[in-house]
Amino acid sequence: MEMEYDFAFFGEMFFRTFSLWWVILPAIFLGLVVGAIPGFSAANTIIILLPMTLAMDPEIGLTFMVALYASSRMGAGIPAILVNIPGTAGAAATPLDGYPMTKNGRGQQALAMSFTASIAGGLLTTVIALFSLPWLSQIAYYLHSVEMIVIMFFGISLIATIAAKDTLKGLIAGFFGLMIGFIGTDVVYETPRGTFGFLELYDKVPLIPALVGLFAVSEAFAIIENRSIVSENGLSTMKKSSWAKTFEGVRIAGTKWWHIIWNSLIGLIIGVVPGAGAAIASFVAYQQSKTFSKTPELYGTGHVEGLIAPESANNGVTSGTLVPLLVIGIPGGATAAIMLVVLQFHGVTVGPDLFMTSPELAFGPFMAMAVTYALMIIMVLPLARYMSNITVVSTVYMAPIIIAFTLVGSFVPRAYLFDMNLALIFGVIGYVARKTGYHVAAILIGVILGPLMETYFLRALRMSEGDIMVIFSSSIGNTLWVFLIISMALPYIIEKRRNKDVTIVTND
Amino acid sequence: MVFNLVKKNQIQDTESRSIGSELIIPIIGFFFTIYYFYTIIDAPWTAQVAAFIVGALLIMFIIIFIIRSVKSINMGHGSLNFENLIKPKALVPKRLIILGITIAFIFIVPHLGFTITTFLFLAIAMMVLNNFQNKRFIIFLSATLSLGGYLLFIVAFDTRFPAGPFEIFMKGFF
Repeated sequence: MEMEYDFAFFGEMFFRTFSLWWVILPAIFLGLVVGAIPGFSAANTIIILLPMTLAMDPEIGLTFMVALYASSRMGAGIPAILVNIPGTAGAAATPLDGYPMTKNGRGQQALAMSFTASIAGGLLTTVIALFSLPWLSQIAYYLHSVEMIVIMFFGISLIATIAAKDTLKGLIAGFFGLMIGFIGTDVVYETPRGTFGFLELYDKVPLIPALVGLFAVSEAFAIIENRSIVSENGLSTMKKSSWAKTFEGVRIAGTKWWHIIWNSLIGLIIGVVPGAGAAIASFVAYQQSKTFSKTPELYGTGHVEGLIAPESANNGVTSGTLVPLLVIGIPGGATAAIMLVVLQFHGVTVGPDLFMTSPELAFGPFMAMAVTYALMIIMVLPLARYMSNITVVSTVYMAPIIIAFTLVGSFVPRAYLFDMNLALIFGVIGYVARKTGYHVAAILIGVILGPLMETYFLRALRMSEGDIMVIFSSSIGNTLWVFLIISMALPYIIEKRRNKDVTIVTND
Repeated sequence: MVFNLVKKNQIQDTESRSIGSELIIPIIGFFFTIYYFYTIIDAPWTAQVAAFIVGALLIMFIIIFIIRSVKSINMGHGSLNFENLIKPKALVPKRLIILGITIAFIFIVPHLGFTITTFLFLAIAMMVLNNFQNKRFIIFLSATLSLGGYLLFIVAFDTRFPAGPFEIFMKGFF
């Protein structure tokens, strides 16, 4: 069956999504709030609200999550600019020029510039991703079991090398996650494996308790170390923000339109790569913006381009991370991984077939993102001034709320008490991982990819009558193996060259 | 730029790593993999192969990490302690109490239901973390949140939260 995607189809989809404004508006508001809380994220919030999203119709639930995700990206820039504390890692490059602007008495302008760059960048890349999806989805038809095995390895290795500071730790976390993902009965022979005798694990490790434990519970135990999320200096800085010169900020950002387009496209491309994400994209954007700038010496002193580059790039990532999720079923990041969990809970299989069977679910997230950015234009500027006040909520109240609501949330899908215990065990693993430099996102993506990888292995082996060399039998697969090896080796080569340079300079 | 790299290297060299705590995840991973292999010894070849490949790679990474850790200890860049896992030490008792309350929460919630158990958990945990100050505010906040959660998740969204005496009693009204 061939399906036509024309302007009429997209127009109908847009209005269909726009009719869900009653879901999108509260999600935007919530996303801005949680995005502004350092150490908190859209992923954590979606986990906390899982009982609600699981109870919703999949299309409405997905729209809610996407709107929250997109707006939280923008919310993360607020404390980054005002108090030099990025709300998420994706906004880590924002304070480099945003905070000096605040110190120079241009905080309000900086916020307005940040919002303009975020909305314009996010909207543009969403539209590009939306119209290129039908072609991107065709790529997936060339990917069979063998290629998918390599892609799974690719995804986990990229997350290991990019997300973690120490590649070896990233690989250990990712492969440990894969092994956890193998728990349960095998697809063909239904032999129980690695279940510790628990019947509740025969049907694989349930993903929601894993998510809750690794992200929310471990985070709650970690944040109680500080009385408040914001430092004393940050608190006094926040009290000085005002609403003057907002429109001047929008105008200044508008004059840098080419800069916004270029950097948001960098974000989109990096976002499509599983495991890359906003933190990498914003630093890459900042770095290249400075490199090609006529005034590189102004970067770091409160330069407009230095603020616009990371903000438009990290919003470009938002639509990019959804592309691998919907086209090949591999989540591009933690939030996309949670969306995958919710879709799986509703029995929706993500991949190229989704564009034929449920186009409203396949294109829906991008439409939701476009509508979200459109609504944020009128909503965000008057609201954002007050959003950063949430950062002063004490961890004394924050941590118990996170633990109580997320643990009960892990009980909901299967109604097993066992799942709450499992969430707590994952919470302890997540806490140890956070404290010792292992990335919890790598473990989680391993848990998600484990069963998929095994299924592709089994299919490939059955077709090749048990010949293990089948994983090297496809030219696309072999090309991907080469890329995988290069991507693994490159960071070491670069690091070695850097160390060599350092040694030479030190000896001189 | 180059000066920064030298400085960064010097900082990394002078910082002592808590290698004992860094070994926890690899050791758990190692023993779990061995246990997993044990459970698939008699399984058909096609059901073993993915786990054997991934498990073997994981064990290889763990061995490399252990060798690297031993080298770091010998060079004086780290020690076999659990410092970064428990610091700040002053918070260890509170953290253990919260863990204990969380375990109790899991075991009590099927009997007392979501609303009552959440109220008790929030009130006790917040009081412990707040050194038993602002008791009235904490009780008010805990009651508001647990009732709000009940109204949102159970009444509005009909979510399968654990039901107890409060939920059964309130069923007559909603």
